[in-house]
Amino acid sequence: MSASLRRFIITRLLLTIPMVLILVTMIFFIMRILPGDPIRSQLGPRVSAEQADALRERLGLNRPLYVQYFDFLWDMVTLDFGTALTQGERPIRDELGERLPATIELTIPAITLTALIGIFSGSYAAKNRKKPIDYIIRLLSIVVYSIPVFFMGLLFQILLSVRIPIFPLAGRMDTLLMTNFETITNFYVIDAILTQNWPALGSALMHLVLPSVTLGLALTGVFVRLTRVNMIEMLQSDFITAGRARGLPENRLTYKHALRNTFIPILTLLGLQFAILLAGAVLTETTFSLPGVGRYLVERIQLRDYTAVQATIGVFALFVAFVSLLMDILYAFIDPRIRY
Amino acid sequence: MEPEKNSSKTEKVPDWMLDLDRVGFVRRLFIARKWYGGDWWFVAISGLLLIFIILVGIFPQWFAPYDPRAEVGPSLLEPGKAPSEYVLVSQVERGEITLVDIADKTNNIGFIVGSPASQALREVLIELNDNAPEGVRYQPRQRRYDTLEESLAALDNGEIDGFVVDPDVLEDSLDVYPNLQVAGTLREEGSKGFFMGTNQIGQDVFSRIIWGTRIALIVGISSALVSFIVGVPLGLFSGFIGGPLDRVLTLLMDSLYSFPGLILAISIAAVLGPGIGNIIVSIAVLYVPTYFRIVRGQTLQVKEELYVEAARSLGTTWFTILRKYIFPNVIPSVVIIFSVNVGDAILTEAGLSFLGFGLPPDTPDWGIDLARGQDYLRRAWWLITYPGLMVSMVTLAFSMLGESLSEILNPRLTER
Repeated sequence: MSASLRRFIITRLLLTIPMVLILVTMIFFIMRILPGDPIRSQLGPRVSAEQADALRERLGLNRPLYVQYFDFLWDMVTLDFGTALTQGERPIRDELGERLPATIELTIPAITLTALIGIFSGSYAAKNRKKPIDYIIRLLSIVVYSIPVFFMGLLFQILLSVRIPIFPLAGRMDTLLMTNFETITNFYVIDAILTQNWPALGSALMHLVLPSVTLGLALTGVFVRLTRVNMIEMLQSDFITAGRARGLPENRLTYKHALRNTFIPILTLLGLQFAILLAGAVLTETTFSLPGVGRYLVERIQLRDYTAVQATIGVFALFVAFVSLLMDILYAFIDPRIRY
Repeated sequence: MEPEKNSSKTEKVPDWMLDLDRVGFVRRLFIARKWYGGDWWFVAISGLLLIFIILVGIFPQWFAPYDPRAEVGPSLLEPGKAPSEYVLVSQVERGEITLVDIADKTNNIGFIVGSPASQALREVLIELNDNAPEGVRYQPRQRRYDTLEESLAALDNGEIDGFVVDPDVLEDSLDVYPNLQVAGTLREEGSKGFFMGTNQIGQDVFSRIIWGTRIALIVGISSALVSFIVGVPLGLFSGFIGGPLDRVLTLLMDSLYSFPGLILAISIAAVLGPGIGNIIVSIAVLYVPTYFRIVRGQTLQVKEELYVEAARSLGTTWFTILRKYIFPNVIPSVVIIFSVNVGDAILTEAGLSFLGFGLPPDTPDWGIDLARGQDYLRRAWWLITYPGLMVSMVTLAFSMLGESLSEILNPRLTER
C-alpha cells in the first residue's frame, strides 16, 4: 500500500466520523422536540404526575439533556445502544438483532436483481444508443422509477396473491409452520437450512419473492440510467475506438472491454443506492407486513421511543457511512488517480 | 446510419427554415425534432401531459363530478357497475312486506357472508334509523350463511324472518321452496354507476383522485421551490466564497444527502405534525443538498473562467458577479433538477402519507387513499389501482421531462 493511498484512506475515515455525528446529533434533538413523549404513549393519557415522574426517572429521561446526549453517543461508540423506552423496555441490540435479519433477507436478493437487470439493460441501451431499443429501455426505466414502491408491491399482491394465488400475501413465513420453527440467527432462510426444516425453507423463500422483486425493480429505474450514462462515456473512450479499428466484434467490445472498465464506477453507484434501498425497505416492509428494521423505526417514531429511534437511525447512518467508505476505498485501490 | 435515414427528411425543410434566426419560436421547437429524435418526443409528450395535469390540478371542479369528501353512493361499488338491486325473500304467508315490518329486535335477517348484500342491508338500516320516529330503533339480528341453499333452508324452517339477496344470485332457486317468495325490494337498482367505483365509505374514487392532483402538485411544486430557494443561494455562496464556511456547509449537506431521505422526512414530519405546510417543509429539507451540490460544483468551475476574472478586475462587486456571470451558467442544470425533484417530492409525499405521517386523514390524497385501500386489498382492487396510477403518471411526466432535457443538454454525452 503506497503512502498516498494510506493517506487517502485515513482522510476518508476521518471525514466519515463528523458525517455520522451530524446525523446522529440531528436525530437526537429532532426526537426531543417531538410533541408527546414515551411516558404518554406508554401509560396512556390519564396517569398521575407521580407515576409519570417515577417512570421518567426509571427510564433516565429526567437527566439533563446533555447527559442523555453524551450517554447516547457513548452507547453508539460501544455499539451497546441501551434499552428501548416502550414495548417491554428490552435491550435495543436484541430488538435490532431480531429485526435486522428480516431486512437483510429482503435487501440482498433485491439489490442482486437490481444489479443484474441494471447492468445488462443499461449496457445494452448504451451500445444501441439513439436506436429504438435504447428509447424503449430508457422509457421503461423512467416508468419503473415513477411507480411508488408500495404501489408496485400492492399491485403484485393483487395480481399474484389474490387473483392468482401463487405467492403468500404478507409476513415472513406461514403461521402454521412458525409453531415448530426454531430460530437461531433470525435469518429464516439460514435457520431453516440449519435445522433442515425443508417446508419452512420453502415457505420462507416464497414469502421473500414478492417483496424482494418489488424492491429490486423499484431500484432498477435509477440504476439502468446510471449504468447507461457510464457505459456511453466508456464506449466513447479511445481504447474502444482502437479496438473497433482492430476489428473486434461490437459485442465483445461492449460486454468485455467496456463493461469491465465500467464495473468499478457502477459498483460505487450501487453503493450510493444503499440509502435509497433503506428508504425503499421501509415502504416494502410496511406493504408486506415484514417485521424488519424499517417497520420497527416507523412504529417506534409513532410511540416516541427516543432511544430506539435514535439507535436505529444511528445504525442506519453507520451502515450508509460504512458502505460509502468501502466503495471509496475500493475505488481508490483500483484507480490510482483518486487521491487527496 | 442515422444521418442517412434523416437526410431525406431534412431535404423537405426549406433552407430559410434552417436559419434559426428567421424562424419563430414554435417552428424552432418543431425543427429541433430532427436533431434530438426520441428525446424530442419524450419532452413533447411529457410537456403535454404536464399541461393537462396542471390544468386538472388548478381546476379540479371542472373534471370531478362529485365532492371528494361527500358520501355519494353505496360503499365498495365496483367501477362502472350500477348499484344492484336487492330483494327481501320471506315466507309466503307474510305477504308483501318491506324491511320495516321485520326489522324489530326480535327478528332475524340473513345474508350470505362476505357478499355485498350485507353492506346494502347495513346501509338501508342506517337510512331507516335516520328517518325513524323518536324512540323507534330498527336493529334486527343479523345471521350469516355460507351458501344460498343453507340460508334458504334456514328461512324455510323459520329460523330467520327474512333474507337479503341480489336477484341475480337468487335466480330461480326459489322454485324448490313452495312456501318462500320474494316479498319486496330492499333497495332499487341504482340508475348510474361510478366510473372508478366507490371506496369503503361510499366516496367517489374518481373525484378523489382528481382532487388529489391538486394536493400532489401543491406539495411537489412548493417543496421543490423551497429547496430551490434555499439550496441555490447556499451553493452559490459556498462555492464562490470558499474557505471554512464552504467546508462546513459541504460536510453538512453531504451528510444530509447520504442519508435515506424518506426516513429523515418521517422524523421531521413527526416533529411538525400533520398539515400541508409541514409536509412541504419536511420534504423540502431532503432536496436542499441536491441543489447545493450541483450549484456549488458549477460555481467552482465557472469562477475560474476568464470572463469572471475580467469582471473582477474591472471592479465589479461580488454580488453582481454572482448574479450576472455565475448564476446564468447554473440555470440549465438547475432546471433539470427542479423537474426531476418535483416528481421525487410527489413520490415522497405519497410515501409519507402511506406510512401515516402525511396529511390529515380525510384529505383527498393519493397516499392516504392507497393506505386505506390496503385494508380492502382482497375485495376492491380499484381502491389501490387508480390512485397508484395517478402518482405514477404524474411522477412519470415530471421525471421524463427532466431526464430527456438532461439528455439533450448534457454536454458530456455528445457523440464525438
